[in-house]
Amino acid sequence: MRNTDLFDSYLNEKLNAGEKVDFESKLHSDEVFAKTFNEHSELISALRNYAEAQKLKAELKAIHSKEFGSDAKVISINKEETFAKRYGKTVMIAASTALIAVLSTIAVLSTGGYFIKKASDEISDLKKEVDGLKSTQGAIVEGIKQGAENIVKGKAAYAPANFEGSAFALNNLGYIVTSLHMINGADSVFIQNSTTERVLTKVILTDPKLDLAVLKIEDKELIKKWLVPFSFNEKLTDVGEKVFTLGYPRKDMVYGEGSLSSLSGYNNDTTMYQISIPVNPGNSGGPLLDEQGNVIGIIRGKINSAEATGFAIKSRDIIKSINLLSGDSIQVTNKRSTLKGLKRTEQIKRINPYVFNVLVY
Amino acid sequence: MSKPNLQLTDSQFIHGLRIGNSEVLTALYKKYYNLVLKLVVNNSGSSDAAQDIYQETIIVLFENVQKPQFELNCQLQTYIYSVAKRLWLKQLKKNGHVFLIKEDGEGEIADVTEDLSLHQQKEKDFEKVNQSLENLGEPCAALIKDFYVNKLSMDEIAEKFGYTNSDNAKNQKYKCLQRLKRYFFDNRLVEQSEIEK
Repeated sequence: MRNTDLFDSYLNEKLNAGEKVDFESKLHSDEVFAKTFNEHSELISALRNYAEAQKLKAELKAIHSKEFGSDAKVISINKEETFAKRYGKTVMIAASTALIAVLSTIAVLSTGGYFIKKASDEISDLKKEVDGLKSTQGAIVEGIKQGAENIVKGKAAYAPANFEGSAFALNNLGYIVTSLHMINGADSVFIQNSTTERVLTKVILTDPKLDLAVLKIEDKELIKKWLVPFSFNEKLTDVGEKVFTLGYPRKDMVYGEGSLSSLSGYNNDTTMYQISIPVNPGNSGGPLLDEQGNVIGIIRGKINSAEATGFAIKSRDIIKSINLLSGDSIQVTNKRSTLKGLKRTEQIKRINPYVFNVLVY
Repeated sequence: MSKPNLQLTDSQFIHGLRIGNSEVLTALYKKYYNLVLKLVVNNSGSSDAAQDIYQETIIVLFENVQKPQFELNCQLQTYIYSVAKRLWLKQLKKNGHVFLIKEDGEGEIADVTEDLSLHQQKEKDFEKVNQSLENLGEPCAALIKDFYVNKLSMDEIAEKFGYTNSDNAKNQKYKCLQRLKRYFFDNRLVEQSEIEK
């Protein structure tokens, strides 16, 4: 019998009287045994307490939605007195509408002269409040400002997103891969780029360990003509190889290039590459490609203390994870890349329609 | 909002929470929600933020009434208001706001410092378990939870996870648990959160 099984039997009071006596006397005489047992019971009780707390949290959420779920949502848009006075209220009440609708309301309110500038201040304020909606810390909020700028230029039809980042196509069927930290806890996730109008996606699966999420475009019309030019390369890429990425740290797609600096990432994590591309907030979720246009990874993040050091999760691990989580039901493009031998500018032109700006609400 | 509110005294609420009575929990939740909603919304928060703060407040109360020596030194309403206020101030600070909460005549404030620090310690412990389970991945995390929390038998686990027999399931559980132990007792986990996303 393994020690852990013995521990479990003891804790669950499954030992008979004689075994119990033996066990307890061993606890007294054998220090190493006692230490292992204490660790074991510490872990198990931490686990049980945790599960109990989770249960209570879920219960409270359930009570709330049952008792107050139909109540109007209130969003405090303001703490600046002057603005408050002009509106005459500190809160805006939108009858139980989605956040996006409320944000649009603000955009509409903001088309007149004076309010324009003020509104942009408020929008960045809102971002903070929205932070409270459990969006992961450290996620990226660059887009807010641009949203506000667009309002000033009077061309915004959409509310600014709470978080923005990048994503790219997995296959021709409308599946898209991105970083989980961006969309965690989100109400809705949209994607867009220069060829695809903003479209709502569905979150299909998530892998917290690799920080991956797979989204799907449900609109079949939209993906009818999809022909993903790149392919996923599961083989490890060599250190020193030239690599590049495309992403949306800003409204327009941004190209970044560098080389593969290490076969492991932060803390020697072997699911990641280290790359010498300066990645910015918003790059998260973008593809990492080699010279031939094979996808070798997905941009994960950067390290705080070092400039121009990025990390990307390896294609190998992405594919493994997707196969595992989807039970092999999602095929990842692995045919030959049609980008081989092309000039970089031409490669980018062809990849462009399949890399997206992700907008998270 | 169908059923009429249960009319309970403070000590009946406390007792109900102690024994985990869900009707009492619901009645308590309904009774003080508006108090906290008002507090948060009047101080730059949304109703969603109020919901989060209120639920955390109830959890703080719940955790503290589990202590045998817990004693309510003020009205339950004052306790809840005080905890919620402290939690909301903390949240505001975290979001980079530096201003004081407008008082709205809710009156006295109870000293809940100790109760909050117990909660903080618990949250820290939970975060450690949570991180370890996340690192463990699936199906390991589910298997461990099914065995230790949901108390499924090895036969049930073998069937649920598709192992050929309970010995195989036991082996798998053993491997998962060993890994979980490594993550849980490994302090380097903390450093990992340094990666900026």
